[in-house]
Amino acid sequence: MAELLPPDVRRCTYFFLYDGSKVKGEGDRTREGICYFYPEETPLDRQELLCGQLAGVGRCVSELSFSPVRILRLRRNKFAIRMKDDFFWVSVDAAGPAADFQDGSGFVSSEYESVMVIQRIYLCRSFQALGCSVEVPIVSVCELLDQLIDLFCFYNGSVRQSYQLSSQEFLAARWARYLSHLQSGSSELHHIFSCLRTIDSTNVDPLLLLKAALILQACQRCPLVLAGCILFRGRVVSTQMCPELTMKVMVHESETYTKTPAAHCSSGPFGGAVSSVTVFLTLSELQYLQSAPVNKHLSSESTPQKETPRRKTRLSRTLSDMPSTDSDPSDRGSLQSPQLESFSPQLSDSSVFSPVPSHSATDPLHPPTQPLQPPFSNGKHSSEAEDEALEEPSYYHSFHSNGGDSQTDASVFEENCQVLNGGGDGGGDGGGDGGAACGTVFDFREAANDESHDGKEDGCRSAPEPPRPPHCGAFDDPEQSQLVPMTLYLHRVKGLVLALLVEPLFLSDTASMEEVYHSSLASLNGLEAHLRTVAPGAPGAPGPYVFAHFDHIQSTLTTNLSGGPGGAPERPFVRATSLLHSHFCNTETLQEAIIRSAGAAVYGTRSVAQETYFQQHGGSFRNSGIPNHQDSAFSLPGKARHRLLKHGVNLL
Amino acid sequence: MTTKTSLLKVILLGDGGVGKSSLMNRYVTNKFDAHLFHTIGVEFLNKELEVDGHQVTLQIWDTAGQERFRSLRTPFYRGSDCCLLTFSVDDSQSFLNLGNWKKEFIYYADVKEPEKFPFVVLGNKLDVTERQVSAEEAQEWCKENGDFPYYETSAKDATNVAVAFEEAVRRVLASEERTDHLIPTDTVKLHRKPRSAATCCS
Repeated sequence: MAELLPPDVRRCTYFFLYDGSKVKGEGDRTREGICYFYPEETPLDRQELLCGQLAGVGRCVSELSFSPVRILRLRRNKFAIRMKDDFFWVSVDAAGPAADFQDGSGFVSSEYESVMVIQRIYLCRSFQALGCSVEVPIVSVCELLDQLIDLFCFYNGSVRQSYQLSSQEFLAARWARYLSHLQSGSSELHHIFSCLRTIDSTNVDPLLLLKAALILQACQRCPLVLAGCILFRGRVVSTQMCPELTMKVMVHESETYTKTPAAHCSSGPFGGAVSSVTVFLTLSELQYLQSAPVNKHLSSESTPQKETPRRKTRLSRTLSDMPSTDSDPSDRGSLQSPQLESFSPQLSDSSVFSPVPSHSATDPLHPPTQPLQPPFSNGKHSSEAEDEALEEPSYYHSFHSNGGDSQTDASVFEENCQVLNGGGDGGGDGGGDGGAACGTVFDFREAANDESHDGKEDGCRSAPEPPRPPHCGAFDDPEQSQLVPMTLYLHRVKGLVLALLVEPLFLSDTASMEEVYHSSLASLNGLEAHLRTVAPGAPGAPGPYVFAHFDHIQSTLTTNLSGGPGGAPERPFVRATSLLHSHFCNTETLQEAIIRSAGAAVYGTRSVAQETYFQQHGGSFRNSGIPNHQDSAFSLPGKARHRLLKHGVNLL
Repeated sequence: MTTKTSLLKVILLGDGGVGKSSLMNRYVTNKFDAHLFHTIGVEFLNKELEVDGHQVTLQIWDTAGQERFRSLRTPFYRGSDCCLLTFSVDDSQSFLNLGNWKKEFIYYADVKEPEKFPFVVLGNKLDVTERQVSAEEAQEWCKENGDFPYYETSAKDATNVAVAFEEAVRRVLASEERTDHLIPTDTVKLHRKPRSAATCCS
């Protein structure tokens, strides 16, 4: 089937939604089930071939294994797959040539040899899939598909209902729009991490970020306003929402940026500057937004700032706020100082790992488990975790069993793939004990519970969910949980947009609307003027090093990479980053790694809240043979610590 | 240099807390919020009005009074048609600082002929009972510094706010008329000046 998939620069080469309920009998044609296929110009028989084959394989495997397929890997492509009721989604990423880093480095192939990741129980007659090249980490492929589906549900409600209410053509345009949004503009690094696009905070006065945050807070004085974010030219300036929700909101923003708001424009005293659209939130998203003002306050204060000092405080507060880690033998929460001294030369000859001893000690704590009831949700981290599950099937359980106990103390860790909770209460339906597993926390709890319930009850909705912790339910599968209609209010001032999630009542409450409008207008005008005059910042001569710093909590990326497509000198770095990121997600205990090819060495380190990648240019690396202590690659961690301080990245 | 439906930029300057934002909000939205946060950088609102038969859009720029916001606000002085120097009648220091504000404005706005530039002085918070600055003191300062018009305002109870802004518009229109008269006699110089200023400065 690989010949079907031409190499392409696009992030996603194929995407389709297939409705199995329309193709049941022998005589039913496959095309009846194809709700949407991207690229739309693909000949119908090819569409049928791909849909039919993938859906068939997916169903076959999932029925054999009592578990839905999440990833199908062909020779040159990966297909992220999601099955739900009668729907089947697939997406494929662009195929690329084999990576130089893959040559001769054992651990890379070990990831890519995994042909299929199977997880989660669904009633799987439906199919949705997204295909990507093997070069893209599995994590990112799955995230892309999940983002796409989440986006659709955010703006249209549930898929089933949408296809009952609207025409296929109308919804096809929607899918196309979301796809093009997710693929547009961002750099490859952004795709790897599936992170938010933020304004370049290095050129922006931190006071302006504060100004943006204050505007949002002022809007919240109106009780009908749940939360908001401020965007400038398609980038986040400040947000009170979780990254996943912010990402969804940004789609509408970019839409109204390119065309005048017509369909949902509320004319009236505010002219064309204000528009609104109905959106659908999952229950947990809603509960998070409606949570106590103190939480809102916290989040609004801490989330918006990409500005480094603030981020640092945020990070340290996050970490100091985690009493739960007392039960975490691996103590992954602390910012470990790189321990290259502990590196063991018997590891791969082309890459250097420095597992912290105490961490490796946690591995055996995960008991083996029967993979019959994989508990992952469709949330983005489940896909990361799923990669993990490839190598360590026991992690199924460590995720799964955290259903109950971690709810109160876990909120600081949700974003982190490597932190697992084997809480030991067997709260999940998997029934595995997981008790001996390390007691870290992981935020699959709601989703995992839902999913497993679903699995057990053949897809029935689980009972009303227990109260959730005050965190955005980013991991909810919108298809799984009830969707609540809300309103997205947009106020545009040239390139600047104030986006607010408001109660639907807001639109009919003229007084509230006017208050919000007038209290923010002057500030928005001013902020727009400020941001417009911010010099784009000289791209700067290519420095002696490149770095990328990913913040899990805020889903933001800081990098000195120009971000333009296809920068040849940057390729090795991007590729190595991709591999390392994928590996970090696969290997819970991995803290640091150096990955080398003949021409480059890239250092990666991660903590609970962040991942950092660093490459020093110009050094001559004697990379052949067994690493020795004079190898210049080993100076990378020290250089990274030193160099990145001025970017506000503290690796100490 | 038409005065029909022209956009006039007026800028409010003065110490932090004297009520610049409140004046702007009172004038444009006719609202008063006693709990406004410090302005960060600059903000602005537009208001359309008619003064003496001239249809103008008044763009009122509100600025941060605190010293730490100086670098954020000063880039926006340029292009102002009128400057409203604001102090609070219950704060003598804010009155004493008027001279500094004037200097700062002239410097950053790159005003070519400061003595001809239209300033208007506002003594705000007239509603407060304990004054520290008398009307006479203020008027004297205005007289000495270029015969600026002086208004005592209260954003809280809307006293004199509209009058003051309208006076600002009149000042601008008057000065534009003066320059209009100059055009026939001094065309070349008038058009050259701003351009050369833009290139040779900074």
